[in-house]
Amino acid sequence: MQHVGQAPSGDHIKRRKGHEGPRNHLITFAISIILTILAFAAVSVPGLSKGFVYSLLVLMAILQVLVQLGVWMHLKDRGHFWAILAMLFGGLVVLYAVVSVAYWIWFI
Amino acid sequence: MSHAHAEGNAIESLERTTLEGKNKILGFWVFLGAEVVIFGTLFAAHIGLRNEVNFSVSGADIFSLPIVAIMTALLLTSSMTSVMAIQAMHRHDTKGIAVWLAITVLLALGFLCLEIYEFYHYVHEYGFNIQESPFSTTFYVLVGCHGVHVAVGIIWISLLIGQLFKKGLTVVTAPKIYVASLYWHFIDVVWVFIFTVVYLMGKVG
Repeated sequence: MQHVGQAPSGDHIKRRKGHEGPRNHLITFAISIILTILAFAAVSVPGLSKGFVYSLLVLMAILQVLVQLGVWMHLKDRGHFWAILAMLFGGLVVLYAVVSVAYWIWFI
Repeated sequence: MSHAHAEGNAIESLERTTLEGKNKILGFWVFLGAEVVIFGTLFAAHIGLRNEVNFSVSGADIFSLPIVAIMTALLLTSSMTSVMAIQAMHRHDTKGIAVWLAITVLLALGFLCLEIYEFYHYVHEYGFNIQESPFSTTFYVLVGCHGVHVAVGIIWISLLIGQLFKKGLTVVTAPKIYVASLYWHFIDVVWVFIFTVVYLMGKVG
């Protein structure tokens, strides 16, 4: 049980950005819920064009994921350079795969 | 040196007090980068083949959005409760960690039960087997891969709760809990793309 109970209270020391308490996390939760409801609603509304709904869905998914990666997984905080780089490399491979598939389906 | 470093940075969180803890988190991000590639390529395969229904049912025919909405709510809430576990950890509240992690596991179990019911329903109601069509194959592999990750997460976090009771909150157990919460957020992030690309776009056609 080392360290437990010995941590400074934190009132007299400026706390690191990102550890300010649950407020940002709750805001992220609210944003996620709103974006999810909007996504499900966009599908249920009749008369919208397919291309418009697709773009809207992808946009909201990317927004929600960025907010969750940034706040819940702390990527926006200091000291996450290599973590962001790892995710970007993974994302690059995915972009390559998805664009290749799209090209294969629609242009070959 | 590391002591001076810790002082310079004001309060370092418990999961980052040791070099081992820091490295564990960094290494886990590399693992998550690789997971992005796994899921991304499965998504690419599904996007390419999702209209190849082979004269069988399509996503628009079988997907039930209310069930997907409930699953999404369960997983999103479980991601939030794992945030609360980390918040409890930063308050050195061992009991709080255990309670929030237990809620996370319960919500995940609900998600997994619904997913199993969903697959069972597709197979028995529509004969939608994995070998039915390119669409069914990529659907089951992609969503099933996510489901396996959820199952692994349930076992992992349950074991961590046990270890927390046995060893308490230390500089050794704290990085493990932090990393498990990162994993759990990542599972939720993948699900965001699954309900968007597979279910909602599948429903639109």
